[in-house]
Amino acid sequence: MQGRGSALSMLFGATGPFLWVFVWLFIGLSLSPTMAGAASCCGGGASSGLVLPKFTDYMADLSLGLEYYDGFWDEKGRQKPDPPGSRLAQYRLTPGGAYRLAPNWQASLVVPYVWNSTRYAGSSYSTRGLGDTSLGFWYETFDTITCVYQVNSIQDLKPAVYLGAALLIPTGISPYDSVENNFDITGKGFYRADANLMVEKSVYPWSLTFNLSHGVHFSRPVNRENGQYVNPYRKKLGDRSMWSLGLGYTQFLEEADTITYSLTQADLREGKTSLDGRVDPNSGFRKRSQTAGISYTTSDQSWTVKGSWNRSPRRNGWGRSFPITDSYTIGASRVFY
Amino acid sequence: MCFTETGRKGPGWLSAGLWVFLLAGTMLLSGACGELLDDLNPSGDDKRSVYDAGTTGPYVGQTAPEFTVPDSLGVPVTLSSQLAVADAVVLYFTMWCPICEVHMSHLRQHVVGSYPTVSFFLVDFVSGSVSKSRLAQVSYGYTDFTVLADADVAVMDAYNGGMGITALIGSDGVIRLNEDYKDGFRLKEALDALLAAP
Repeated sequence: MQGRGSALSMLFGATGPFLWVFVWLFIGLSLSPTMAGAASCCGGGASSGLVLPKFTDYMADLSLGLEYYDGFWDEKGRQKPDPPGSRLAQYRLTPGGAYRLAPNWQASLVVPYVWNSTRYAGSSYSTRGLGDTSLGFWYETFDTITCVYQVNSIQDLKPAVYLGAALLIPTGISPYDSVENNFDITGKGFYRADANLMVEKSVYPWSLTFNLSHGVHFSRPVNRENGQYVNPYRKKLGDRSMWSLGLGYTQFLEEADTITYSLTQADLREGKTSLDGRVDPNSGFRKRSQTAGISYTTSDQSWTVKGSWNRSPRRNGWGRSFPITDSYTIGASRVFY
Repeated sequence: MCFTETGRKGPGWLSAGLWVFLLAGTMLLSGACGELLDDLNPSGDDKRSVYDAGTTGPYVGQTAPEFTVPDSLGVPVTLSSQLAVADAVVLYFTMWCPICEVHMSHLRQHVVGSYPTVSFFLVDFVSGSVSKSRLAQVSYGYTDFTVLADADVAVMDAYNGGMGITALIGSDGVIRLNEDYKDGFRLKEALDALLAAP
């Protein structure tokens, strides 16, 4: 089955020049020299998604992610292996940018490009294409720096609290496009609106970050499944909720550059899908995972280089109806003032 | 992270350019990718083709393609022979994946028992051999089903099969349903309609 998704390959061929011009110009922008200016502090960088540090104007971010699949949890949460001879991987090149709209408001846009490389039970599948785009907004509830080096008063315990909203835009290749199976997809095919909360507190060298997110998928009509037209129906994916709690330790180097080590526990759930208003009992999932991360930031915070390893525990009950994965991500951010 | 005021300032055109490139890049890629716009503005129009009765093919209304394929024990299974002894045949195309697992479990618990005169088959189109199909069947716990070892994917190709695709074939050999299993509702609806017909 080598060559499945050839339409997508043709598509990539057609858009290849656009893609590479886009990527290289983006990298060029990220690396372009800038002039001296002012700056200051806390919030951002360590959280999920793109968050602009306080008092900075905009940011360019580029990351490369590799996700390997290693079995799955069934509907009862039992760990099961993939068939022998399987090797599933997804690679993601993710450029993104964040921009300060007002002193306490910021927006971000993330546009991943995805490669799927799958060998499943002896059959090979390969696809590449745009992933789903994420447009996000954050409101910073604080006006001053909240990171401290020691706690002298109750005021020093005040955390940085961000309130956010995000829209997932289905620019990826979904099961409702001309694909043959889920190995070919790079997106979900649904719009989703998320409400986000992030609470971050640093008392150096330690920091705690808590993220909470709840997303609602928009209902849509479906008239095609895996490339085959079907009797149309309306589908709405279940609500998606996620929380994560991260602990960080920052090591200060000479000239005030920093290395931050972090450990994060996350829990992701998606509720039941509805089909023409009926609840689909076969839908929904849960996944718990842990992430170890390391990042290097220059003293003026203009550059951050980061890497992380996300792992789903290979244990029963740590997920449901979802693949078990390991993800590795490396990336760099450039912040401007 | 706190730091001193030694940051750098970028020109305004840089931020504007960044956003223009991100937005334009997204739009160009999406637009150039044609059907990707289907998801941005999805259609509910019924685009299924209507097929003449008597033609053979994988679509609803067509005569189901004949096949003979070994089951996971190596015993040949022929569609016409099965239709001769059952009111209908259901083919579920499995990859032994998480979604397939959920579908098969639902099929077992909520469908099979309600239709004793219908033959249900799991079509394994990924394992590549009879022995590997048997291994998958046993390891995933579906020995109560007959698994067809579609090693050369002939059945999958003939039925436009794929992960989770479910085909219902009446005893007259006509395809009544061929789409993703989802919640099994449409399969049961089609089975009820088929078995209620005089």
